[in-house]
Amino acid sequence: MLQGDFQPKKPTRKQLIKLSIFGLIGLVPLTALVFFFMFLFSAWLGKPMAVFGYDEGPTQPIAFPHTRHVQELGLDCTFCHRNVTKGAAATIPPVGLCMTCHKVVGEGLPEVEKLQAIYDSGKPIDWVRVHRVPDHVHFNHQAHILFFSQRDAIAPSQVCATCHGDVGGMVKVKQARYLKMADCVNCHRDNGAPTDCVTCHY
Amino acid sequence: MAESAQATQKRQWGMVIDLDKCIGCQACVVACQSENNIPVNEEAHFNQRRAIQWIHIQRYWEGEWPHVKARFIPVLCQHCDNAPCEPVCPVYATYHNTEGLNVQVYNRCVGTRFCANNCPYVVRFFNFWEPAYPNSLKNQLNPDVTVRSRGIMEKCTFCVQRISRVRRQAKNDGTPIADGDRALNPACVNACPTDTLVFGDLEDPNSRVSKLRDKELVEGGRGYHLYEHLGTSPNVIYLKKVDKHAVEEPAHA
Amino acid sequence: MKLTRRQFLGLVGGGGAAAVIFQACGVPEAELFVESTNQIPEDLVSGLDNWYATLCRQCPSTEGIVVRVMEGRAKKVEGNVDFPVNQGKHSARCEAGLQALYHPDRIAGPLVRTGERGGGQWEEVSWPDALGRLAQQLRGLRDPAALVMVTSPENSYSGLVADRFVTRFGGQRLRYETLESTNVRRAVKLVYGQDRMPDFDIENSAYILSFGADFLNTWGSPVRHARGYGQFRQGDRERGTHVHVDSRFSMTGASADEIFFVKPGREGLLALSIASVIIEDGMGNTAAADALTDGGRIDMGRFAPDRVADAVGVSADRIHSLAHEFAEHRPGIAIGGGSAAAHTNGLFNMIAIYSLNHLVNAVGVPGGVMFNPQPPIRDLPAVSTVSSFADWQKLAGQMRNGGVGVLMVRDADPMYGLPGATGFRDASFNVPVIVSFSNRMDDTTALADIVLPEHSYLEDWDIAVPDHGPGYQTVGFQQPVIRPFFESRGAHLGTRSFADAIMTLAADLGLDLGLPATFAEMLQDGAAQLHGEGRGSVTATDFRAFWNGALQRGGWWDANARSAEAAVRPPALPAQEEAPQFDGSGTFHLIPFASASLMDGRGASLPWLQATPDPISSATWRTWVEINAKVAEEMDIREGDLVRIVSSFGNPDASSAEGIEALAYPHPGVPPDVVCVPLGQGHRGGTRYEKGRGSNIMSILAPRADTQTGALAWAATRVSIQKTGGWVRLPKFENTVPDFPRDEEQEVIKITPTDT
Repeated sequence: MLQGDFQPKKPTRKQLIKLSIFGLIGLVPLTALVFFFMFLFSAWLGKPMAVFGYDEGPTQPIAFPHTRHVQELGLDCTFCHRNVTKGAAATIPPVGLCMTCHKVVGEGLPEVEKLQAIYDSGKPIDWVRVHRVPDHVHFNHQAHILFFSQRDAIAPSQVCATCHGDVGGMVKVKQARYLKMADCVNCHRDNGAPTDCVTCHY
Repeated sequence: MAESAQATQKRQWGMVIDLDKCIGCQACVVACQSENNIPVNEEAHFNQRRAIQWIHIQRYWEGEWPHVKARFIPVLCQHCDNAPCEPVCPVYATYHNTEGLNVQVYNRCVGTRFCANNCPYVVRFFNFWEPAYPNSLKNQLNPDVTVRSRGIMEKCTFCVQRISRVRRQAKNDGTPIADGDRALNPACVNACPTDTLVFGDLEDPNSRVSKLRDKELVEGGRGYHLYEHLGTSPNVIYLKKVDKHAVEEPAHA
Repeated sequence: MKLTRRQFLGLVGGGGAAAVIFQACGVPEAELFVESTNQIPEDLVSGLDNWYATLCRQCPSTEGIVVRVMEGRAKKVEGNVDFPVNQGKHSARCEAGLQALYHPDRIAGPLVRTGERGGGQWEEVSWPDALGRLAQQLRGLRDPAALVMVTSPENSYSGLVADRFVTRFGGQRLRYETLESTNVRRAVKLVYGQDRMPDFDIENSAYILSFGADFLNTWGSPVRHARGYGQFRQGDRERGTHVHVDSRFSMTGASADEIFFVKPGREGLLALSIASVIIEDGMGNTAAADALTDGGRIDMGRFAPDRVADAVGVSADRIHSLAHEFAEHRPGIAIGGGSAAAHTNGLFNMIAIYSLNHLVNAVGVPGGVMFNPQPPIRDLPAVSTVSSFADWQKLAGQMRNGGVGVLMVRDADPMYGLPGATGFRDASFNVPVIVSFSNRMDDTTALADIVLPEHSYLEDWDIAVPDHGPGYQTVGFQQPVIRPFFESRGAHLGTRSFADAIMTLAADLGLDLGLPATFAEMLQDGAAQLHGEGRGSVTATDFRAFWNGALQRGGWWDANARSAEAAVRPPALPAQEEAPQFDGSGTFHLIPFASASLMDGRGASLPWLQATPDPISSATWRTWVEINAKVAEEMDIREGDLVRIVSSFGNPDASSAEGIEALAYPHPGVPPDVVCVPLGQGHRGGTRYEKGRGSNIMSILAPRADTQTGALAWAATRVSIQKTGGWVRLPKFENTVPDFPRDEEQEVIKITPTDT
């Protein structure tokens, strides 16, 4: 052992207790910091991180199975989301539209009974939003749907999957693309759409 | 294909303001507030010189009673081709687009207010407060226009939401955008009872604005730019007020 | 372990910052939901807008508007391009109708007073209950004449319902206007033989000589006038000349090529002097000159410029040249109104001014005064009469004596706008029942016993004839652009249409109004009459198509259906001058004026209008007094000084007898012996936006009336100005923009003497 060499000193019991307390206190800000960065990342990527349990898509007030309606019954997207070729919002259909079939179809199923009860009460359904473009963005469904369906000569309902993924195959709808600005701009650039800020931000 | 012609057509939005017609009635001011979700200017906002009016009417006195005159001039963003506000923005929140619009991107703005200080026309306004509306008044808000939050600059957009809407419509219908279309005109232009304000595409040789520009500015008539000497080359053209009694260009303010 | 203060603050700060960051990054909860409504109409496409044509009833001028509606909410008002009165244009006031619709303090259901009158304690009751209580009160009236209904002067079907109800019941009806137009209407009747206000064809005119009327801003049909004015200035024709004569500096005066300041009340004398020059120099229509001078029996020489110059305050030379200019530039129009009609010699002034049009052949010709024909609908009250000040004094007397049992008020605020000296407000405490149909707590409604809130005009049906028509038959259709805002409160609460409420009441009382059973049928009946004409802007073989067409266009009009009576023989001019008389001991003439945005106070509850700068002073939100800059300097009054305007009149109660307070706004345009104060503020009742704000100039006016018509001479008060020592910053837009120009060499407004 040399003079001046660092000599690890065994901490006293009192010091140990003190350090462990400091350590525990320190954990709190550390956890907060971790959460903060996770939050920041999730906000940045536009997709809540798996830790929040959103990966599967949010739980809706009525477990509406897109698979049943689209894959099995072959309903067109635009049958329910009828506004998509006409206006900015694709729109969720009114309860009344559901009831055109569900007055008779699906009698006895618990989710359909929920729907019928809501219809009778005359109240709206508050669906949990799955897709939400960031603030200060004006997205117009009509322009996008018409552009792709005209260019590729396909039905409007075949365009939806470009951004929304195969919703028809989802039991629980989840976000398929990040839908952040980079995502938008890349697609705009690839398709010769304007990339001027004021195209979307006004 | 009409559609691609639409997309590639060069445009330069501009406005002609005939001072000989302006009567100072403030119809444009309120029309703008209504269209663009401008928060209500409370008394304190005026007292603190923080009232927001994208278009406003300035009034200048000339002479003393009984030989007194008051003159009105509507001032809005001049959408300068060489805008002093643009280069000073540290975050590129204000820039010039290909259609001659001086654009403010709200989500980029960090509120340095450099642009407002550098604008000689004083047409940029800062949101010093979170916009406050009683709940029922929110029903009136225009869904096509963002409600700006606190800490953000805002200014006249030439009602770009209307341009956007009309362009989309024209594209879907395969028809050209008509000059003087009321759906295209900014709210102030439609409101102006004396037709003081004329809006249109300066690139289109048949539009009313370019005809007025050719007649009054290029061939030498009543046209002038506000603060021409600053070299901002605005897209707003003013036409001089006619006053038979004026001996020459009179004193200002 | 000890936590130091510094550590503690650090932790708190850190926690706060984290909270802020989390808050800022989060999305508002409401944003996380997307609602699917229970039922929507098949044809509703959310996100797409519809524009519905209707009428703006914010001002009496009745502009046609289109309203942008998205998902059942009204978003924007614009002028109706088809409507002949305003042709696509609108004013700041039309725009603000949206805020009246979505006003946060709108009354959402019938109210019955519970506390003291004016105490502001209310109980909400259902419509059947409220109407039942009113019917009971009406049944209990011993004398049917004790029912008084006060409405705005309007030519509409709801006006007709009110009319019928009152006449069949046997009550009295008064038509309220704050700055009443009795003198102008009487002069139009006397000089032109017309029951309706004529149209001034400014668009095609070459010369406008206006006296007192702020016709581009608040007087008559401002939007229509302004639309024509733009063409008059820079249209297809040679630029017109506009000369304004006034005793205050108004917005119209600012727009004129030249403004002449006359001594208050001498406008008529100036007009007669101009007439004398035109007749003397043989420049006018000789037949008209003959008629006007009663075959030469009236000595026009006494009005020669050099004899009246001193009294008028304009030099004789200038009167002479003005007369020549006016006679030589044809077609020209003389327009009179505003403060010129609001003196004790108001009718004299108006007759003199409007007679000028006969001299220059400007009656019934394009570019001159065009008459408005009667609308082709039976029953529609097309003669708009206005109750004069004398009527109001009489009513106040009746109220004081207990002669009024039920006072019903609709679309009018007499408690606010009648001069304090009438004692109308105090007399109203002797009226057992006051019923208000207003949906905002204005001054009259605040004193009511029963409030029956009516729909906003954007939720209601009507058919109306614009008072200032375009010179041909025009009928405006008003339709609801949205469903009633308070509809969700159920059938027995919320607001109702005024006409429906009155018709229900009449049925309850067993009154036969002689009208179709419902208001809807009544309107269809009116439309059927138009349909039967088979001409005009909308024609159709079947009625449904006509009805839809008229609603789509916002009305029906026929540009060929002009007034047949073009040749009117003018009556003789007044043989001698009638001098104005003034009341009060002060040194200044008080000229009140309708605020550009608030008008007579009806717009005061709308924040947009409160925040709209006055064109001349750019002041907002407050009551100011315009005073000559030099005089103010002599009196050591600066801008923002709180001054007291004292007349010797006012309410018997002491506060207003001492005058009202206002902020001084000295400017170079006011004549030295005049102070001008805008109307519109000083509401005792009111919503959050106007209550307790500013002062009401009407409260200190002298109770002076025109000697012949009994119209209120609201410009006949003299006041003194006292400094109170207080100072408040005048909220104005001026100076929000720093003083221009930043470069002394560059003018902001460039001016050229020559038109190109």
